[in-house]
Amino acid sequence: MGIVNIRDLWYTYPNASEPALKGLEMTVEEGAFILLTGPSGCGKTTFCRCLNGLIPHFYNGELKGEVEVEGLSTRDNPTTELARHVGLIFQNPDNQIFALTVEKDVAFGLENLGVSKERMMEAIDWAMKATGISDLRHRATHELSGGQKQRLAIASILAMRPKVIVLDEPTSFLDPVGAERIFGVLATLNREYRMTVILIEHRVDLAVRYADRIIVLDGGKIIADGPPSEVFAAERTRLAGVGIPKIVELNRRLSRRGIALEGPPLTADLFVREIKRRLPRTGMTGPKRRSLPGLGGLTEEHLGSPIIEADGVSYTYPAGVRALRNVSLTIQRGEFVAIMGENGAGKTTLVKHFNGLLRPESGSVVVDGVDVSQVSVASLARKVGLVFQNADDQLFSENVEEEISFALRNFGFERDVIEKRVDWALNLLDIERYRKSSPFILSGGERKRVALASVLAWDPDVVVLDEPTIGQDHSQKERLRHFLMQLRTQGKTTIIVTHDVEFVAECRPRIVLMADGGLIADGPTERIMTDMDALKRASVLPPEVTKVFSKLNSYGFPADVIDVEEAAEMLYRRLREVGP
Amino acid sequence: MSLLEGLRFSRGTSPVHNLDPRVKFLMTTVIFASAIMFLDLVPLLVILLVQVPLVVVGKIGREWAKTLRGGLFLAVVIFATNLLSFYFFRGRHLTSGMVEYALSLTLRFLVLITSFSIFFLTTSPDKLSLALEKARIPYEFNFAFITAIRFVPVLADEAQSIMDAQRARGLELDRGGFLARIRKYIPILLPLIINSIRRSLELAEAMESRAFGASRKRTNLYELKMGRGDYAVLIVSALALAAAAYIRFFMPPFGPLLPAFTIA
Repeated sequence: MGIVNIRDLWYTYPNASEPALKGLEMTVEEGAFILLTGPSGCGKTTFCRCLNGLIPHFYNGELKGEVEVEGLSTRDNPTTELARHVGLIFQNPDNQIFALTVEKDVAFGLENLGVSKERMMEAIDWAMKATGISDLRHRATHELSGGQKQRLAIASILAMRPKVIVLDEPTSFLDPVGAERIFGVLATLNREYRMTVILIEHRVDLAVRYADRIIVLDGGKIIADGPPSEVFAAERTRLAGVGIPKIVELNRRLSRRGIALEGPPLTADLFVREIKRRLPRTGMTGPKRRSLPGLGGLTEEHLGSPIIEADGVSYTYPAGVRALRNVSLTIQRGEFVAIMGENGAGKTTLVKHFNGLLRPESGSVVVDGVDVSQVSVASLARKVGLVFQNADDQLFSENVEEEISFALRNFGFERDVIEKRVDWALNLLDIERYRKSSPFILSGGERKRVALASVLAWDPDVVVLDEPTIGQDHSQKERLRHFLMQLRTQGKTTIIVTHDVEFVAECRPRIVLMADGGLIADGPTERIMTDMDALKRASVLPPEVTKVFSKLNSYGFPADVIDVEEAAEMLYRRLREVGP
Repeated sequence: MSLLEGLRFSRGTSPVHNLDPRVKFLMTTVIFASAIMFLDLVPLLVILLVQVPLVVVGKIGREWAKTLRGGLFLAVVIFATNLLSFYFFRGRHLTSGMVEYALSLTLRFLVLITSFSIFFLTTSPDKLSLALEKARIPYEFNFAFITAIRFVPVLADEAQSIMDAQRARGLELDRGGFLARIRKYIPILLPLIINSIRRSLELAEAMESRAFGASRKRTNLYELKMGRGDYAVLIVSALALAAAAYIRFFMPPFGPLLPAFTIA
């Protein structure tokens, strides 16, 4: 008997034609750290709702089978009672904070349970300490950063002293450093307080090191369940389209060539330790590299004329926040640029200057030869299409077709042109079949595509995507990557704002690093992604492969390796030279 | 609306902030009542000046100044309409009594907005909610009140994002006739409403997960406790009210309740 027992669990939402969960079986031992992953729509969130009784008490629908937490059936005990045993933390930090100050929010659950003031104080102190937010105790909740808010949400659940905590994609809105901090908190809770953690995540690269068990859900069924090295190496995991940690990929490529590392290692550190055992420290001669050092120079430095020129741009928000400090940046026609940096670094503020949503307080922004201060947003938007992070902030039409034609009508296109453009955009993003559907019934990934189509429809010269990978699963990201490549071959200037390092490492754009409102580095992927100092200043974590190679320098390997295939190739050659 | 600035709580730890909200409310009521009792320049000026130390001790001078600036327009309107209506309806001439009366009304308005802003500027919504709880208002209302305040900045951010997204799609809010402009707000209002519905569902789930409504005897992290200072302010307020009433009704220079009718 584990702390969580699930027997033949089936659940169908009201009015749904197909069950969301189909016969789950699971036993979770006390003190386990489980990483649960799966493609979008696989039933992860539904699973979470079953664990604390939101299903069947909050959601109707048809539930079969048994869920037991600490011996309590979720069917017989209401969510409010289960809250003392299992805590659920959601994706959006804002929608789970109820009080105006940090301390009061941590107290919320305890107040609801009728806990006395003395015991409340004790629990609050402990929960804030465990999540590292004690110094925020008297702060107003709305002033916190996303990462702080999410740690507060965890503390507020912890205060009720559950034995099991379940987190539903808690780091989706956070930057990598914020995400790592959350994972660190979870690791502490798991190791020091023996809490059982069930973490639902797409960010497997960062999360995998903490987990002792991986469960993969697909189509409402468990398709893999076991230790990380086994599950991620399994073919069925790969086929489900979930993200595979880069180090596991690297291992797989090596083992296909007959090199099997002990473990196999799941993290960069472990990988380095294992590979070092095999490598003699003789590599002073330097490695043979397939003319790769020059690759950086290949990225389009001078493709055409400049299309966006920002010169000494500074901007301060009315509330007094200094968001940009003297930023100068030139983007050439046809270039592919990623603007990276932690949340609050000024990335979005900068791109809002490109279509005139914001006007520089000092300095100038020139788009295609026109100073942005001289023209309206509408006329700039024709040239620079900005796709925002949250598709739900722009969808409003009756059907997808209307949604896509909205901008075209605003720009005064002719009727027949509009029709053609809408057809073209629907095809481009493969959403033709939803033409007459309401955008609101589509899934999150589909809504994102509608939003993208609604901007691409007017064929702007420059496309800017703000955080396009947030909340996207592995196959959606792959799809997006292919799409970006397509735009690039069409010669469109493409700018993405992101903190998704692995995604950028695969796309290989020119990278602009920002920190604290200023530019701190600018160059090809290979150079920026391996510049540890600059990355650190921008609070961007290097890709996993780069982490490995940054530690193999003394063995004569180059430090600027970002690609799994290239890494495997180099290691393989060296190991073959060394011989068994 | 800068007049409303004066109603936005500004955090602090001054003695005014720390007063029991019930006592502070009583104090505000006393000031309010006294201001209603008098319509003469001198007592109203005294009541206004009495509040200045509160502003200073509460360190809300700047916010108070904003309130006054915001209220300036209304104050001018009050003064002008009174004066003009006297002028036009009382035989097209002005007496010093009329001017004094119009001035008093204006002063009364300033006293009232000052007392309100002192109360709201120095009373945290949390304390206000505690006071409501003590007044036996059901917790659900209290919760709704706090949640509303909690989500004001969140909704403001969201409205801004939606506006940015639609402007990036060529929506021009400031063009066209009146009706056309109103129609242009549909692409902004609809996402805002739909997001709010989504959000409310998520909030409800999170509330359940935090045991909302689990116990009939809900406890509160904060408690209201009357301290010495609170009792002192309570007594002073009661005395001030008594004094104001005595002066108003038993000291001859301050005529009857509705002096407006006596102005000739």
